Amino acid sequence: MSTRVGGRRLTPYLLVGPGVAWLGVFFLVPLWNLFVMSLSTKRSRYDFDPAFRWDWSNYGDVFGAYGTQLGRSFLFAGVATLACLVIGYPMAYWVVVHGGRFRAALVGLVIVPFFTSFLLRTISWTVLLADESVIVRALRATGVLAVLRTVGWIDGDRLLDTPVAVVGGLTYNFLPFMVLPLYVSLERIDLRLLDACGDLYASGWSAFRRVVLPLSLPGVFAGSLLTFIPATGDFVNAYFLGGTSSRMIGNVVQDRFLVQLDQPGAAAISFLLMAVITVAVLVYARVLGTEELTS
Amino acid sequence: MTLHTSRRRFLGGLAAVAAGGVFAPSLLTACGNDAVGGRRLRVATWPIYIDVEPEGEATLDLFEKATGIPVDWNEDINDNLEYFAKIQPTLSAGKTIRADIITPTYWLVPRLADLGWLEPLPIDAIPNAKNLLPGLQRPTWDPEGRWSLPWQTGTTGIAYNRKATGGKEIRSMDDLFHPDLAGKVGFLTEMRDTLGLLMLADGKNPETASVADAERAIERLRKAKSDGQIRKFTGNDYQDELTKGSFAACVAWSGDIAQLALENPDLAYVVPDEGGMKWADAMVIPKGTTDLDAVAKFMDFVYDPTNAARITASVQYISPVQGVREALRAAGGDGAALADSTALFPDAATEKRLYTFRSLSEDEESRLSEAFSKLTGS
Repeated sequence: MSTRVGGRRLTPYLLVGPGVAWLGVFFLVPLWNLFVMSLSTKRSRYDFDPAFRWDWSNYGDVFGAYGTQLGRSFLFAGVATLACLVIGYPMAYWVVVHGGRFRAALVGLVIVPFFTSFLLRTISWTVLLADESVIVRALRATGVLAVLRTVGWIDGDRLLDTPVAVVGGLTYNFLPFMVLPLYVSLERIDLRLLDACGDLYASGWSAFRRVVLPLSLPGVFAGSLLTFIPATGDFVNAYFLGGTSSRMIGNVVQDRFLVQLDQPGAAAISFLLMAVITVAVLVYARVLGTEELTS
Repeated sequence: MTLHTSRRRFLGGLAAVAAGGVFAPSLLTACGNDAVGGRRLRVATWPIYIDVEPEGEATLDLFEKATGIPVDWNEDINDNLEYFAKIQPTLSAGKTIRADIITPTYWLVPRLADLGWLEPLPIDAIPNAKNLLPGLQRPTWDPEGRWSLPWQTGTTGIAYNRKATGGKEIRSMDDLFHPDLAGKVGFLTEMRDTLGLLMLADGKNPETASVADAERAIERLRKAKSDGQIRKFTGNDYQDELTKGSFAACVAWSGDIAQLALENPDLAYVVPDEGGMKWADAMVIPKGTTDLDAVAKFMDFVYDPTNAARITASVQYISPVQGVREALRAAGGDGAALADSTALFPDAATEKRLYTFRSLSEDEESRLSEAFSKLTGS
């Protein structure tokens, strides 16, 4: 009898055990190693056993040297997240309201690009955005390139190898991460609420602003985090679609780690990035209101 | 002549996956040669770097027939620095990697040797080593010929797309800085290729130049970058930019362009008037290899001109082995046409204008590499 009670008490811990063990071994231990590395010093370039000595100067050094790329990463990822929201929200909304029995299939279509490798999808953009491609010619003819040039987002008469192309690639690659959470939160809204709004003489806009939007905020929150965080650390888009001044912090980490063999520096950048993202997310959660997360 | 995919072309884009190397060290655990049943020779090299057809009669099959030693041919190397980062944890811990021969690019050889990660060549057991081209004997990267035998070699020069240059032929590195090509010029992120060519344009010999000479080249690039002259710094993916016309001209590798020009006659490759760079991927033996006899047998086998010619006919790089030209002619067929290729057999005048990058000390490497990657990676 008593053993059964004891067993039942243990059940939750047993259930959570594998997850904790997994995170402990494959997340916390490497994270700790990374932290130790970020405070270590190499005696020389080919010293492969950096000595731990609370070397906080690594942080100052990399921040001084790569502050530009860090700021640029947040800017690019921020703009891409906003663009994903602007493109993704109407998509998700339309599927929920008008999708009918095709909803599942339509949402499935959003995931279809994932069947192709991330790398190939990005490389294919270099073809779409080539200087003489149909798309770029059309944008040139309609004056869009001229406008982009006037606002200073591109220089020269091209899209490929510019910051605009990088942000475009990020937006395209991470759009599904925005659409899916939005869809889930919009789908849970009882559509009869819209009828009720109408009965109470609310205009379509105010029904959206005062009822639908607030109810979908958890989706907006989840979607923007799922988009923003990986986009910040991305290095593939900047590598293939960027030019001489559009490298992101992910490219810097790769260069520090694999080319310069500067493991402490690479670790410090990674930690710095994590710290800034954590703070940004906390602020964001505060602004959107954390209780929305649990609703 | 069948159109093959050259190794560097195949690599287009793969450089970006380099971060994969971060996770790889765990895969390279220590392992003696005798661990898996029987005697095997393990070679780690670049993709598409040996003939594979016809089945049963390709070089590796013939080697096994001749010696009884099967070869594990592993296309493990995609990028020198990535590969270095991969093997470093194992070798610096004094363990052995799962390879008996690896083929990094020449400049990595002195670094590996200085770190004590190489076994000396069993040169006495490789009589065919006498077939090494005179120009490659006692090279700057291995002056005593103690550590390495070249596998394949090639040159670095300028490639251009006549359509994009407006029909203008490119002759010198200085042409890449001409305002007419503003925003349409590419340079390689491979530091020694890019800086070597720029130093030659500056009248300096990269085999003896000082760090200050190299820094002057970096300064020239920095200025061109801020003027908007340079469109992009690339790895192997420069070929796409060139064929699409995004690059009018760029620093390039010879073998690639020979291939691409077959499909696109607007493309051309030139060793600049002031001089070009030559490179070699060299066979070296990682520390701890036990079966040096198998290693020697293999090196001897591929330095036989007939075998070397078979490899050349397939991979189409410049062979380091004397007598390949004659062997190609003798073999006849598609191979015979290759015997007259100036890309595979540069004439003496061109040969004279080719240089390698001198070995850098640890401090010099650090200084230059930092400055260069700050420029290319911002």
